[in-house]
Amino acid sequence: MNRQPGTGEEPPDDYLEAAIQRLLTEHTEIAEQGLTVTRRDHSLVVCGEVESAQRREEILRLVLEHFPRLPVTVDIGLIRTQAPTEVEELR
Amino acid sequence: MTGDDNMVVRIAAVGDVHMDQDVLGRFRPALEQLPERADALLLAGDLTRHGTEREARCVATEFGNLGVPVVAVLGNHDYHCDEVPAVIRVLEDAGIVVLEGTNLVLECGGTRIGIAGAKGFGGGFAGRCASEFGEPEMKAFIRTTQAIADQLGVALREMECDVRVALTHYAPVPDTLAGEPLEIYPFLGSYLLGQAIDSAPTELALHGHAHAGSERGTTPGGVRVRNVAHPVIKQAYSVFHLHAPYAGTSGRVSAISGSGSS
Repeated sequence: MNRQPGTGEEPPDDYLEAAIQRLLTEHTEIAEQGLTVTRRDHSLVVCGEVESAQRREEILRLVLEHFPRLPVTVDIGLIRTQAPTEVEELR
Repeated sequence: MTGDDNMVVRIAAVGDVHMDQDVLGRFRPALEQLPERADALLLAGDLTRHGTEREARCVATEFGNLGVPVVAVLGNHDYHCDEVPAVIRVLEDAGIVVLEGTNLVLECGGTRIGIAGAKGFGGGFAGRCASEFGEPEMKAFIRTTQAIADQLGVALREMECDVRVALTHYAPVPDTLAGEPLEIYPFLGSYLLGQAIDSAPTELALHGHAHAGSERGTTPGGVRVRNVAHPVIKQAYSVFHLHAPYAGTSGRVSAISGSGSS
């Protein structure tokens, strides 16, 4: 089988899931290891949290660029950076 | 330090902040409150996205000059671009102490806080771990973890201090990985780190790396372990109050042995 994973011609499979996971980690503009990629019906859902809105936009842009015909839902939040309101007492 | 206040040591910690220019300033408002809240800030690795000198300058800007000692270990991201010496130089120029199998004792209000740190590495956990066997690459993998764990153990044991804290990037126990896929546990930590932590009367072990993990666990020897990866704690840092009597004086931790830990 010589199909290029991720062209979006077929429903997403294990290979496409792996290709997107590696893109998110290995692409120099992303380098995110903490995102999850899951298949849902005929689309993929990318979930997780990142440190800036710019990173979220970049992930969306690159996934669309690499897999233009694939229905992808990107559900990525920003990690909050407020000061803690409680401490943990260790006795 | 609240040394007179029932000997409470206050440790702030966060890991996996993955700094670059797009993150500059996000942590700073909360960090400015640290002098009233903590005696030291510990950074549990993955300070940068790719481990470049430029990103390290962002770490220095965000986490330097805080009014409390800042002590860090590096993470796997900080090694990615092979600029580790430059990264460390930039951080240390900003007053951030970087531990790599080494230790530091801080004197705070009459209490000596010993911090031993190492990045750590993978290999998995007892009963489901890689072994030093087979191909050269496999043996090198485990030897790397073993060497780092050995350094961490020595760094913990040799400190003369009142309270010991272990700081790693990789996890020393599986407890704090709950939420991560089981299949990747061997890439998230090693029991060898837990064994090193249990070889000294350690009060608290802090790590990062496991973004989808959970906050709390304990080593087989009873040391409290906390995953302070930023996506796990979901705040700028966590604060832990360590109350006397400490493990080193109470005899609460007794597992000082080189044998298997589970």
